[in-house]
Amino acid sequence: MTVLHSREKLTLANELIYELKVKDAMTREVIFFDKNATFREVQMALKENRISGVPILDEQKNIIGIVSIDNVITALDKGYVNEKVENYMAKEVITIPQNYSLVSAIKKFEKYQFGRLPVTDKVHSCKMVGILTMGDILNRLLVSIQTIAEKVEKDEDKNSQLSDELVRKVQQRPLRFEVKKADFDNAGRVASIIRNYLQKLNIDKKLLRRVAIVCYEAEMNISIHSLGGYISIEVEQNGITITAVDYGPGIPDIEEAMKPGFTTASEQIRALGFGAGMGLPNIKKCADRLELESSMETGTILKAVVYLS
Amino acid sequence: MKLSQIIEECKLKKIVFCSDDEITNGYCGDLMSDVIAHAKTDSVWVTVQAHKNSIAVALIKEIRAIIFTNNVAISQELIDKAKEEDINLFSTENNSFQLCGLLYKLLEGSNHQD
Repeated sequence: MTVLHSREKLTLANELIYELKVKDAMTREVIFFDKNATFREVQMALKENRISGVPILDEQKNIIGIVSIDNVITALDKGYVNEKVENYMAKEVITIPQNYSLVSAIKKFEKYQFGRLPVTDKVHSCKMVGILTMGDILNRLLVSIQTIAEKVEKDEDKNSQLSDELVRKVQQRPLRFEVKKADFDNAGRVASIIRNYLQKLNIDKKLLRRVAIVCYEAEMNISIHSLGGYISIEVEQNGITITAVDYGPGIPDIEEAMKPGFTTASEQIRALGFGAGMGLPNIKKCADRLELESSMETGTILKAVVYLS
Repeated sequence: MKLSQIIEECKLKKIVFCSDDEITNGYCGDLMSDVIAHAKTDSVWVTVQAHKNSIAVALIKEIRAIIFTNNVAISQELIDKAKEEDINLFSTENNSFQLCGLLYKLLEGSNHQD
């Protein structure tokens, strides 16, 4: 099982090394020397900076050689440590262009067994812009993985649940709004207020829009078809419940009322763009759960729930 | 496409111009529930329904601008509400069909270049 687990992790790392470029991972501030430096000078720099090699550059910052800690040890051994590096340094340097993917860099490290690769500004160029080690690559991968993990965490926080504290706060102030009969101008007011309110709770925009649409259509229904009523909103950890209650006269046939295009609205109301017979179908589309009860004596109760995840 | 560019190309009359938003879509409709169901965010909405409720619909759907066609009368109340809610309002003598033709060319044209 552990094998499977680590393989899963590697898939992500594999994707990343194809996506990320050498320039994303390389170190840009590079310690380098010119060809007149001595092995002694290089040795001091390696020790001071805790690095294992330095590139040798010409005046135009073109790479002309590389001196590793091995070269320095040989120089100490053979007694030319105070001589210039020019005559002894490795002159055929393997480099990598900055726009190559990290996967090609890793292949080069595997093939040549070097500790570091000088990075050039482009293919067939010797101009050095940075240096890359396996350590740099690992660091960059860790940063990427952390960013991804943080994002996932944040998304989860946002969508799936509200904090206990927030829910308590919201529940202390139940939201209830009166909706008057035939008040078309102000209808939409409840939806706006609720939208603004939920925005402050940092709820996902798409969910918020669905809640707003349910409110709007329920509000319009009360305004157009009933003697008046109210809308109340309950916020719980997992979802938002919108309850729309009116005082009558009730829906004779709920099944028919749910059909898109079915309307009992007057000509005058329809001229304003309402009563198209799409209100209840719209609510149904936006709600995860919908309950509709109607009595010709007491009126209609609509309950719609939008889940947060 | 920037709203200012749409205003210029379609020769719209500015009723309320509060922010030069980036517009990516358009919708045309005079039935509120239809617009609520189908308009996309960051749209311009072409309609003849010049009443306060249109602002509520625009807010819910994050429609950035409403363009009233056929030179319909626009009340001061509507203008005040739009200003309060930061919804851009424009008007044109063109009918909805003509205006949508212009808008379609502009928006679809610019989408293809992207």
